[in-house]
Amino acid sequence: MDNQPKNQISRKGLTVWRVYGSMETAVLALLAVGAGVLTYFFEWPQWLYALYGGVILLFGFLFIYLFPKIRWQRWRYEVREQEIELQHGLFVVTRTLVPMVRVQHVDTEQGPILRKYDLAEISISTAATTHTIPALITAEADELRARISVLARVAEDDV
Amino acid sequence: MYEERYKLHPISAFINFVKGLKELILPFIIIFGVNIFRDGGVSSMFNQGWQGLIPIIIGSVVLVFLLVGGIIKWKRFVYWFEDGELRIEYGLFVKKKRYIPFDRIQSLNYTEGIFHRPLGLVKVKVETAGSGKVGQAEAELTAISREDADRIENEMEKAKRQLPEETAAEMGPHEQVEPLPKKEAKVLYRMSMKELLILATTSGGIGVVISAVAIFLSQFSELIPYDAIYEEVMLFLRFGALIVALTIFFVLLVAWVISVIMTIFANYQFTIQRDEDHIYITRGLLEKKKVSVPLKRVQGIKVSQNPLRELFGYATVMVESAGGSIGDKDEKIRLFPLVKTERMIPILAELFPELEWTPELVKAPKRSVHFFYRLDLLWFSPVFAALGYFFYPYGLLALIIVPIVVVIGIWQHRTVGYALADKQLTMQFRGISKHRFFMLKKRVQVVQVTQSYFQRRKELASINSTIKSGMMGATASTPHMEKADASRILAWFEPSGNKELKH
Repeated sequence: MDNQPKNQISRKGLTVWRVYGSMETAVLALLAVGAGVLTYFFEWPQWLYALYGGVILLFGFLFIYLFPKIRWQRWRYEVREQEIELQHGLFVVTRTLVPMVRVQHVDTEQGPILRKYDLAEISISTAATTHTIPALITAEADELRARISVLARVAEDDV
Repeated sequence: MYEERYKLHPISAFINFVKGLKELILPFIIIFGVNIFRDGGVSSMFNQGWQGLIPIIIGSVVLVFLLVGGIIKWKRFVYWFEDGELRIEYGLFVKKKRYIPFDRIQSLNYTEGIFHRPLGLVKVKVETAGSGKVGQAEAELTAISREDADRIENEMEKAKRQLPEETAAEMGPHEQVEPLPKKEAKVLYRMSMKELLILATTSGGIGVVISAVAIFLSQFSELIPYDAIYEEVMLFLRFGALIVALTIFFVLLVAWVISVIMTIFANYQFTIQRDEDHIYITRGLLEKKKVSVPLKRVQGIKVSQNPLRELFGYATVMVESAGGSIGDKDEKIRLFPLVKTERMIPILAELFPELEWTPELVKAPKRSVHFFYRLDLLWFSPVFAALGYFFYPYGLLALIIVPIVVVIGIWQHRTVGYALADKQLTMQFRGISKHRFFMLKKRVQVVQVTQSYFQRRKELASINSTIKSGMMGATASTPHMEKADASRILAWFEPSGNKELKH
């Protein structure tokens, strides 16, 4: 769209998504191995092996390479004095505008994998909705959280 | 300083008892029901000596317990006013105290049940904005007299007025707070009998009743002696399809009549009043309900029309209000259960003068029309393929859905639209029913614009805006609008106005 929000999320976020993708692919590969064993014992047709392999390759390509890449390129955010603007999405690009007046509270959160990469996600809650920026360097996330909560406090409350 | 303690009306002991009884009615039926079906019926219970009486003994012990419990609950319940708080002390075994600051109280809702009305009493539910936890800082006064209810309201008003004055009083001499003039509530709307009848006859309540009957019947399906019935049914069928059809029609008719009566009871004498800062909605025949909505909590107004009502120019109006208790089905407050559109506009204009009620809508562009059905058809196509393949040729009848989906899509495309004023956003869209959302800019929480790959190619975008409603949000969405319109709404919503400068 016209002018995208300025900031991108951390490059390491891309790595984390690739890790998630690899994990999902590994689970799928396990299932495929199971199916392969069944195929062997029950003497199902040979071409099924090719199908299993193909599915894993395609899944791996999409979820380890392509989707994280597009998602990462899409993800933009910008925190200005009076509003927060977000952009994300894989097939459907969503652009979100949250006025600072509406922000009720900000949280940062860090799972084990995110912690390993020194990343954190930050959730911005309004009275009705919650918006998450998925991967920021921990220090950056803490700084952003502090900044948003200061900016949000200035605004008068209207619900 | 000792503040006067107030008690509930003694009838609340009885109401507590009845309430406890209601919850126990099912176990009771089971206990006695089982005995009735035993040899000899109920009378055998008395023939078997003391053992046969066990269910009755248990039953009466429970009854006495409930009665005593109800009385103790009433005895223990006191409330009073202190330090700008409504304070309540209650509890059957464990004594509980609950202090609710007056300025946290969002509304007092009155209900008059059958026990309340002859004695001129009301049940008062105290509602706070809610911290999100169910049942916290929310109180119910089972039965108090009208004067007591008014006293609570007065105390509340007094406390709210006093608050700003108290800060002033720290500097100067304390002024006597004079008794407040009772605020006049003006009646804005009274539902006519005709409207009530139309509401009752066109409401979807009939579906509920039918399904309730179906569920009720399915519970007994195991008890029904099918063999015996089967023969009778065969006999019955010989009378021909006409009688079967008539019976079905009759059952539907009865269900419909029940739903009509229920709706009339619930909405009898539906009245809207307002004073300076509240809207009051009163309704009900057997149980009279009064809901008050603080005007400053109103987040948006939703006007809905199902196709049937749209045809005759009737609409339902909902108030989306912030706060309220979770799980309360009145969370979305119906301002008008049913009203002629011409009649509603002046009343709405008087209730919410800051809103524009008949704005000129910007519609979706022509080229977006196929977006409204293309994706749906795509999802359906595997189903069509499967049905056509496995149930050839009859499976192909499924294709009838295609024109229906297309027609609905075109209809949705025609309906969708938005209007932008300085301080107001109006959005109109349709699932099957038509909805129109009126929102003030200062009430909109978030605006989202989404664009799929195909929308981007055609320069289209979908617009969603969310307001707070109850504990959650309510989202109005106008899909497949002109991209420029989406940008305009984003720019309008942006507090800093960066985007407007660039355009």
